[in-house]
Amino acid sequence: MSEENKAAVAATRLGLSLDVWAVITALLLALLIRVGVLKHVPW
Amino acid sequence: MAASTALPSQEAHNPFASIIQFVPGVLLLTVVGLGGKFIEQSVNGYAKAHHLVIPNIEYVLWAIAIGLLIANAVTIPKIFLPGIATYEFWLKTGIVLLGARFVVGDVLKLGGISIGLVALEISGSLILMTFLGRLFKLKPKLTSLLAIGSAVCGVSAIIAAQGAIDADDEDSSFAIAAILTLGAIALVAFPLIGHALHMGNNAYGLWSGLAVDNTAEATAAGALYSDAAGKVAVLAKTTRNATIGFVVLGYAIYWAGRGQAERVQNKAAFLWNKFPKFVLGFLVISLLVSVHVFSNEQVGALANLSRWAFLLTFAGVGLRTNFREMAKQGARPFIVGALGEILIAGLTLGLVVGADAIWKL
Repeated sequence: MSEENKAAVAATRLGLSLDVWAVITALLLALLIRVGVLKHVPW
Repeated sequence: MAASTALPSQEAHNPFASIIQFVPGVLLLTVVGLGGKFIEQSVNGYAKAHHLVIPNIEYVLWAIAIGLLIANAVTIPKIFLPGIATYEFWLKTGIVLLGARFVVGDVLKLGGISIGLVALEISGSLILMTFLGRLFKLKPKLTSLLAIGSAVCGVSAIIAAQGAIDADDEDSSFAIAAILTLGAIALVAFPLIGHALHMGNNAYGLWSGLAVDNTAEATAAGALYSDAAGKVAVLAKTTRNATIGFVVLGYAIYWAGRGQAERVQNKAAFLWNKFPKFVLGFLVISLLVSVHVFSNEQVGALANLSRWAFLLTFAGVGLRTNFREMAKQGARPFIVGALGEILIAGLTLGLVVGADAIWKL
């Protein structure tokens, strides 16, 4: 099994697919920015 | 591809053990990505201090180059491999956050053009790869995997299709190796061709998104040209990704009809399972930005988070590209893939140039 597959399988073990975890993470970060917890993200 | 790593059996019951195994590799991605950013800033700072005029080489190229150097010069210890594979997670998180840089109007305009071009690209790629696979007498299922990989979205599509059409692991490895090798070549060739043809950011981004197969490489090929081109490349590639379920379903039905794969019982559930959910996340963020849920400063913060996620992705693209492993897969699938990709790149370039002439991208 490739490492890409393993990452997907490990994510699925936590109950959701890698895709869904990525969406949840991104939306959570967006929420933190919206409520002001993350005020400035430098680049 | 990367070597296999045995996972401790208790991980199936312990989610934290699953997460901890990714830490070393993610740290390596961070170091390589930051290294790329540091080199870019150092080179630009040196040029500015010495009044030198040199082309700006983006952190994207440095991060990929450092990763490639490490992956091909030394054997990466197994402890890093699971974390390196998370580049796919960072890629998808970055794409969702990138939605902040598109108002819905942009998505509808460029996405609408993309849908039309994607339909033409997918049809052309499937026909072309099937023809070449037969011409070079590749195994039929390997041909199907190469066709799906080049038409839709590289590695993800091949993995999704492997189970659906009951293809061998070996065929899948061949197809993935061919797609990744060609993706690595595209990283160098596409920006050079784009600059030689003086392509605009939107046209170039659209071309990269249509012609480069793997999402990470398509994103990197776009970002290597310019930040704006990278944004459009992601949009076009995401449109392609959204079709994955339909294409894989078509092949699953075809092989089931020949008695060489299981029948799909519930087509709607099949389509939903294969649909890349990050496309929906991208649209949600874009919609929220369009209705001004976020201030301008917050939109900037979201865009920067997206850049950080892509930084890890680009480091991962370099680190997981091992030319020695790819060379072991044999020449024929690569030749078929290369021929197909060159023709597809030409076809999509023609489509984009035509669209640019009509819609002024």
